[in-house]
Amino acid sequence: MAIPALVLFFAFHTLPALTGLFYSFTNWRGYGTWEFVGLKNYINLFKDARALDSYLFTFKFAIVATILVNVISLAIAIGLNAKIKFKTTLRAIYFIPNILSVLIVGYIFNYIFTFFLPDIAQVLGINALTKSILGNPDLAWVGVVILAVWQACGFNTLLYLSGLQTIDDTLYEAGSIDGANKWQQFKAITFPLIAPFFTINMVLAMKSFLMVFDHVVALTGGGPGRSTESISLLIYNGGFAGGEFAYQTANAVIYFIVILVISVFQMKVLQKREVEV
Amino acid sequence: MKKISVFILFVLLVGLFLTGCGGKQEAIDGRKIKLEFFQNKQEAVETYDYLIAKFEKENPDIDIEQNFVPESETVLRSRLAKNDIPEVMGLGGNAIYGELAKAGILASFSDDPKLKEVQESYIRMLQDLHGRVNNYGIPYTSNANTVLYNKDKFKELGLEIPKTWNEFIATAEKIKSAGETPFYLTFKDAWTAMIPWNSLAANLQGEDFIKQRIVGQTTFKERYDEVAKRLYSLLDYDHNDNFGMGYNQGNTAFAKGKAVMYLQGVWAIGSIEQANPDIKIGAFALPAVNNVSENKLVSGVDTVLTMSAKLDGKEAEAAKKFIHFLLEKENAQYYIDQERTFSTVKGVYQNNPMVDDLKPYFESGKIAAFPDHYYPSGMQVPNLVQEFLLNGDVGAFLDKLDNEWDKVYSRQ
Repeated sequence: MAIPALVLFFAFHTLPALTGLFYSFTNWRGYGTWEFVGLKNYINLFKDARALDSYLFTFKFAIVATILVNVISLAIAIGLNAKIKFKTTLRAIYFIPNILSVLIVGYIFNYIFTFFLPDIAQVLGINALTKSILGNPDLAWVGVVILAVWQACGFNTLLYLSGLQTIDDTLYEAGSIDGANKWQQFKAITFPLIAPFFTINMVLAMKSFLMVFDHVVALTGGGPGRSTESISLLIYNGGFAGGEFAYQTANAVIYFIVILVISVFQMKVLQKREVEV
Repeated sequence: MKKISVFILFVLLVGLFLTGCGGKQEAIDGRKIKLEFFQNKQEAVETYDYLIAKFEKENPDIDIEQNFVPESETVLRSRLAKNDIPEVMGLGGNAIYGELAKAGILASFSDDPKLKEVQESYIRMLQDLHGRVNNYGIPYTSNANTVLYNKDKFKELGLEIPKTWNEFIATAEKIKSAGETPFYLTFKDAWTAMIPWNSLAANLQGEDFIKQRIVGQTTFKERYDEVAKRLYSLLDYDHNDNFGMGYNQGNTAFAKGKAVMYLQGVWAIGSIEQANPDIKIGAFALPAVNNVSENKLVSGVDTVLTMSAKLDGKEAEAAKKFIHFLLEKENAQYYIDQERTFSTVKGVYQNNPMVDDLKPYFESGKIAAFPDHYYPSGMQVPNLVQEFLLNGDVGAFLDKLDNEWDKVYSRQ
C-alpha cells in the first residue's frame, strides 16, 4: 500500500516543489522563453528592500498574533472547561469564526474599521480613531492582527480544550486540599500538563501566521503603501501580477527554508521545556 | 492488494491524462469551430453577448464562447504558465499586453487590412508598448482619463470648467470655501491615485521620457518633481478619510453628491449612475499645465483585440473573422454606445452628451498615452504613489522610483 501513496505524494507534492526550485534558477516570467541565470535571483533578493520590508511586517505580525492567540485561546479553553451552563453550545459558538471564510469575514471587518469604528470614535471624541485605521500605515497591521486573532482562536481553543480534558480531576482535588489557590493550580498543574498542546499550538499558529495571505487581501490588499505586504502576498503580487515568476519563486524557496527552520527551532525549544517538567 | 491499487492508480492517471487532452481534439475534428474569447471588461459582458449572438447568426459554423473572469490579467498569466492560451483575446492596452507581445504569445497582425481603418495614434501607442514595428493586435476602443464633475453643483456654485492648472486649483478653493468637498479621494485602492498621476505625468514628464529612462539618459528625479508636488497638493481639497475609502465607496459618495469633482476616468460613469440615476455628470481633461493649448487629454487603448500565435488553418481564419466583425463600423458603434468608451475605428464617434467636453481633444488629436502603461509592472508604482501621498516626502519618493526601476530592469 505504500507505493501508490509514495507515487501520489511524489507526483503532486515533491515534483511541483522541485520544479519550482528549478525555475528559481531561471529568468522565466511564467510564459514564453527562458534561460538559466544561476544565483542571480537569490542575490537580487537580498538586495531588495521591498522583500526585507515584507519579512519585517510578516514577523512582527506573526509573533504578536501567535502570542495573542495562545493567551486568549488558553483563557477561553479554561473557561469552557469549567463547570458552567450551556458548555457545549458555547464551545460551538466560539468555534464558528474558524469555519467562516476569511475573505467574507474580512469584508465585514473592513466595514467595521472603515465606518463603524470611526463613527463611534467621532461620538466619543477620540480624534486619533476618526479615520479608518486601515488607511494608516502605522496602524493598518493592527487591523490585520485583530481579524487574524479573532478568526484563529476557535481552532486553538479546541486543541487546548482537548488538552485540558486529559488532566485528571483528582490532581485538582489534591491541590485544593494542600491549599493551592486557582492561580497556583494553573501554574503547577494545568500548564505543565498541557505542555505538549502548548507546543503544538505555538508551532501551528506561528506557521499559519507566517503564511498570512487572505487576511491581508481582504482588509488592505498590502497597503497603504506597502506597509502590510506579507511575504505570501509579495510572492503572489510580484510573481503573477508583476510578471517576475522566477524571481518570486526564489523568494518562495527561501521563505520555505525560513519557516522550516523556525518550526524546527520552536519544537526543539518548547519540547525541551516539556521534558524538564 | 498491492497490484489492485497500482492498477487503480494507473487507470486514474490515464483518465486524468485523457481528459486533459480531450477538449482540444474535439474542437479541431468537430464540424463547428469552437473559439474561446477571453476578455477583461466586466462592464462589457452583455454587450459582447449581443455581438457574439449576431456573429454566430451570420457564421453558423463558428461558436464563440465568451470568458470573463475577475482579475483577468492575473488569471491570464497563470494560464500562460500552463501554456493554455485563449484563442481570441480582448485585453487592455497596457504593460502586460506589451510583455505578452514581446514573449511571442500573440499572433502577428502586421499585414491586416483592418489596421488602415483604425486611428494611427492608437496603433503607435500599442507599438510603443512592445517596442517593435510589428503589430500584435488591433486597437478596438479607447478610454479617457478625466475629472468627473457634478453638473448641478457646478451650476449652483457658479463654476466653469477650469482650463489651466491655476484655474483648477482656484475652482477647488472656491468649492472648499463654499463648504463643499472639492474631491472625493479614494486612495485606499492604490490604483485610483494613478488617475490624477497619469494626467499630470503625461503633460509634465516631457518628450520621450520612457525611451530616455530606459537608456539611463534621464531619471524620475529630474522629470517628475512637479508631477509629485502637484499630485500632493490635491490633498488640500479632500474629504476627511482619503486612505480609508476605496473606488466603490467613492463612486457611491460622488453619486450621492458628497463631492463636487471626482478624479476618475469615464469608465466610472456607469457605476456612478447605477448608484444615483438622477445625477448629471460631466467630464473634462485635468488641466495639468497653465498653457491652455498645450494641455492634452490622457487616453489609452481600452481594449485591443488579438489572438493566440498558436492558431493556424481554419481556427485562425475564424478567429480573424470574429475580430474583423467586431471592428465593423456598425458593431463598433453599438459597442461604444453601450460602454460610453470611444472607438478607434475612423468615423465612429461617441455621441453621448456626457463626454461633450472631451470631443475637442479627440478631434484635434491632443491625446497623450497613459504614462504608467510604460513602467515595468514589477515596479508596482501605484503602491509607491500611495506611500508617497501618506508621507509627502518628494525627494525620497523620486529616488525610490528610480531605484525600483533599476532593480526591476536588473532582474530581467
